[in-house]
Amino acid sequence: MTAAAPIPVTVIGGFLGAGKTTFLNRLLAAGTARYAVLVNDFGEINVDATLIERHDGTTLSLSNGCVCCSIGSGFLETLGGLLDGDARFERIVIEASGIGDPWRIAEIALVEPALRLDGVIVIADVRRIAQLIDDRRVGDTVRNQFAKCDVVLLSKSDLVTAAELDAARQAVLSVRPDVRIETLLRETMPDLSLLAGSRTSSRFRADGVADDALDHEENFRRWAYRRDGTFDRGRLAAAIKKLPQELLRLKGTCRIRGEAAPQIFQMVAGNWSLSPAGRDTSAGAGSIALMGVGTHDLPPDAELEAILDGALALDDALAHPALI
Amino acid sequence: MSQDTVVFSARRIVTMNPSRPFASHVAVRDGRIVAVGSLTELAGFAAGEVDQRFSDKILLPGFVEGHSHIMEGMMWSLPYVGAGDRRSPDGKLVAGVRDIDAIVARLKTAEAAIEDPNTPLFAWGFDPLHIGGHMLTRQDLDRVSKARPIMVIHASFHISNVNSIVLERTELLRATDISGVVAGEDGLASGELQGIAARFRVFRSLGGNPLSGNLTLADVSRYAASACIQGVTTITDLHNDLLDHTIELYQAATRQPDFGVRLVPALASVSNPPEQAIAKLAALRESNNDKLHYGIVKLVVDGSIQGFTARLRWPGYHNGAPNGLWYIAPEELPRIVDIYHRAGIQLHIHTNGDEATELALDAIEAAQTACPQPDHRHTLQHCQMADTALFRRMKALGVCANLFANHLYYWGDAHYELTMGPERAARLDATGTAQRIGVPFAIHSDAPVTPLGPLFTAWCAVNRISSSGRTLGRETEVLTVEQALAAITIGAAYTLKLDGMVGSIECGKYADFAVLEDDPLAVAPDRLKDIGVWGTVVGGHVKKAPSA
Repeated sequence: MTAAAPIPVTVIGGFLGAGKTTFLNRLLAAGTARYAVLVNDFGEINVDATLIERHDGTTLSLSNGCVCCSIGSGFLETLGGLLDGDARFERIVIEASGIGDPWRIAEIALVEPALRLDGVIVIADVRRIAQLIDDRRVGDTVRNQFAKCDVVLLSKSDLVTAAELDAARQAVLSVRPDVRIETLLRETMPDLSLLAGSRTSSRFRADGVADDALDHEENFRRWAYRRDGTFDRGRLAAAIKKLPQELLRLKGTCRIRGEAAPQIFQMVAGNWSLSPAGRDTSAGAGSIALMGVGTHDLPPDAELEAILDGALALDDALAHPALI
Repeated sequence: MSQDTVVFSARRIVTMNPSRPFASHVAVRDGRIVAVGSLTELAGFAAGEVDQRFSDKILLPGFVEGHSHIMEGMMWSLPYVGAGDRRSPDGKLVAGVRDIDAIVARLKTAEAAIEDPNTPLFAWGFDPLHIGGHMLTRQDLDRVSKARPIMVIHASFHISNVNSIVLERTELLRATDISGVVAGEDGLASGELQGIAARFRVFRSLGGNPLSGNLTLADVSRYAASACIQGVTTITDLHNDLLDHTIELYQAATRQPDFGVRLVPALASVSNPPEQAIAKLAALRESNNDKLHYGIVKLVVDGSIQGFTARLRWPGYHNGAPNGLWYIAPEELPRIVDIYHRAGIQLHIHTNGDEATELALDAIEAAQTACPQPDHRHTLQHCQMADTALFRRMKALGVCANLFANHLYYWGDAHYELTMGPERAARLDATGTAQRIGVPFAIHSDAPVTPLGPLFTAWCAVNRISSSGRTLGRETEVLTVEQALAAITIGAAYTLKLDGMVGSIECGKYADFAVLEDDPLAVAPDRLKDIGVWGTVVGGHVKKAPSA
């Protein structure tokens, strides 16, 4: 096992022309952290020449500590090479292809111990998104990109009226009623760690700060689950199957019996995953804090809590984390 | 006449040249055919004795495989565990393994032959559909070894099965919530893996992908040997990034005087933006030689039908599976096609589903309208689900099709039952429709996805029978033997714009022959695939196929 904490990964999705490259250009130029950015096509990367320290055809090294790698036709090789290299990055940002499913890339960070999935951001062009969602040929591809993302960034909002902006927002909500939507502004660069963010600092904050999109939607109900204790992995798997389908998403941190590291739990539409949390998570030993979002007819809290309580390890005395 | 002219006699020469379809003798000089006819007609060409070595053989034009991959030459370093018999490049008949026990037994033999206990065992060619739907589980593979990592790559190349040690080392045993980590009956991973996340993790753990390393001269030689065994004298490598290393290797291999096949690599569109690709091809064409023909570009629009990644028009997949994936965005394709079309580059466009075929035709129509190119010959590769109306558009636009006849046998049952249903499966790879409408077409193997062997491919198009014995559109879509032979010779040559040089036996063309033990036009059509291949003649060089 590697001693270093896993590197957070942000995946940037969105259809062709959504504004992914513009976003990444600004990210590289801002250089607020040592980013490694993997892009599909070097051709459109346009960083201030004074920032460029080295350009060897596949990798662009910047004086602010960031690098930008061209994926070319070998994405897995490029990412593998980055992990095997000497340079240490604070975050890896991966641009998904315009017709690809960003979640498929995000899953790499869920299975690779050297990585930690921090978030999936999908960028949508406000002028086109409503039409793309219904497009005969690409509608399914576009809708699928939103299916498991953490946040949607609306781009090019300065080119439309307020009514058009709202129409774009409604189009996205028609696909993912519970998703967080932000407007990307030209003058400010959002902080990636706050945007999609390690779970405790995103919309699943344990302090329950309201989510913008949800505030506007009265058709949804939130539910928080907190326990001092640990889950048993097998019992958790069984319990999740019993959760009602009205529960759309469930996220947060927890402990699993036999695992040293706190775990990040994510569940969307019945699909769930656990991944080791980095050092920076606030999950204390033996604590479980999950936040759920469901439809308005989500069963009462007590009913939901009973289901997850069934997943708790029976004998917490045995639950001391083993040494890794 | 010339001292260097050799006259071969044969039991019969089937020329595939309609103006002189049959002959008994062929004269060869400087690697090319100088005359075809009877002994009397060729008397002036024979300086000495007539070469009688083929006097009991049948000569056909060397077969042209219009869609296969150099990977066929790389696979044979790994053990084969597919259900069908296959011929290795050294001529050995490698028997198919038709149940799980037989697969485990073959893997055990291969496992015992590896000395280093840490070296992973890779194998290839498995497909559950060919052994009655039986899955290969991690428990099956644990019977081969619990200590050595094992990975079996499916015939499709998109799925693999691993043993428990691999799942434990990669911590994927419980990761069944990850796409493509398939759960077994016990809720833990079954060992079947697909998708990039599992792929990334497993290959990092195993120390690399055995098929992604640099191509070697031995791989290229094996590819040529496999071609010789099947009577193929012109072969494509229909999707290649053409990195410098590969370019140098192809250059060196094809310059060897005895190299046994003409190689037609297609530059993969994904590897370069079109403008760069066009410049690269212009440079590459300068290095073309008799046996190396650069110039074509491959585009991949969608996935595969049996993998449910092909893009289908309404009503979609027969079993209700969601529509497949675009590999090029529909709004990007017209731009890319237009750039290549204007530059006069011939495109080979992979479209499996009919929605992808329709999109490709839309793009070609727009490009052809904006900038007419009288003989572009853009070719739709696979083009498995096109209906009659789409074939009529191909005809109108001057588009060729290279149909995947081997699919009828290998996945015909899956298409009938799951992907397309009875009606559409009956016109899968509609060779009869192409013939009736007059779309220039070829048929292919996509080796190593299915075995290389044009006579088998022709047999598929003539008999249209699945591996379980079900016939698919036999009444309307079969080819005659003559038509099928044209599709594996002059028809395929036409799709590569090489029909002036290869594909028929006539004066002026390369002296490329398939040397057969029997006459395809005389045997029963259902025995076409069983005709023995003695070897080939390539540019006048006689190549006896190795046999073991």
